[in-house]
Amino acid sequence: MSVSKRIPVFALVFGVGYAVIYVVCTEVNLPLITYHPVTGDIGLLRQPAKTGPVMYWYGWMLTSLVGAVALAACASFLPEGWVQRTITFGCLLAAAYFTFYAVALFVYDRATVELEFLQSRSLSLVAAALTAAILMFMTPRHWHKRLWYGWIWVVPAGAIGVLAYYLAPYFRQ
Amino acid sequence: MIFWTTLLILHGLLALALLGAITHQTLALWWPVSAPAGSFVARFRAVPGVSYVGAIIVLYVLTFILGAWIYTQYRFTARLALEQLRFFKTVGVFELKEHLATIGLILLPAYWAYWRQPLSQEYASARRSVTLLLALLVWSNFLIGHIVNNARGMGS
Repeated sequence: MSVSKRIPVFALVFGVGYAVIYVVCTEVNLPLITYHPVTGDIGLLRQPAKTGPVMYWYGWMLTSLVGAVALAACASFLPEGWVQRTITFGCLLAAAYFTFYAVALFVYDRATVELEFLQSRSLSLVAAALTAAILMFMTPRHWHKRLWYGWIWVVPAGAIGVLAYYLAPYFRQ
Repeated sequence: MIFWTTLLILHGLLALALLGAITHQTLALWWPVSAPAGSFVARFRAVPGVSYVGAIIVLYVLTFILGAWIYTQYRFTARLALEQLRFFKTVGVFELKEHLATIGLILLPAYWAYWRQPLSQEYASARRSVTLLLALLVWSNFLIGHIVNNARGMGS
């Protein structure tokens, strides 16, 4: 990859990678630091509340920053086709995971017998990975020759959708 | 309290400037004028979009930093009051605002890269999309900020 191409690719992968890692961090709660606003203390990694509430937002941003910079640095030295394939696979995986997990929870809620395994996230993840791999084989080869820069709005927009979904409980109260 | 109120006013003023700049640029990019600009709306659309890039990035970062700073005060003052008053929807939209602000911030490197001069045709579509998304995020956060401030804002 030429030097002039590395900057746009770095910027693209940084944005896409950050959005994905940020969603995971907020859902699983993986802050690099915890801020205690009442006392002004900063602690490493996730910490419980001491005096008053805790803030993980800064920590999520830092975790995502570290991950996104690492991903973007690697991607800027890889061939464009590889980056395109990886992002396509990641998007298919995410879409399939949310579909499978939503369907599994829907069935679990309405089943007349106890189907505990449907609540497993790893089961949905494995099914999603298989589906994404199959779909990748079905996509035309010319799709993966060049990097599509439109990922920079597709992935963050998808991340916003997921983040908004996670906030739904606030609007049901 | 005066300190935080001053910061909040400054945050609002920077957000207003950012809103104007990004709206100018987005309209100029998506709805360019083909004839000499006559009306107010046409003149609004007739600005050279490239000249706004640096200002938008600086304004976004400054607005974000001030917002992130004020957030520490909001977390254990206004938010606790909102929760006690059971204004959960207001709390929810503010949670969304923090996520939208973060997503907007991470778009800035790509936004800058795709607007670099000379403008490359290869990034034309991505440039349009990322500018529009950034504009939508700025507008959303501006409106959410007003809603939250109206619910439990300055001096309350």
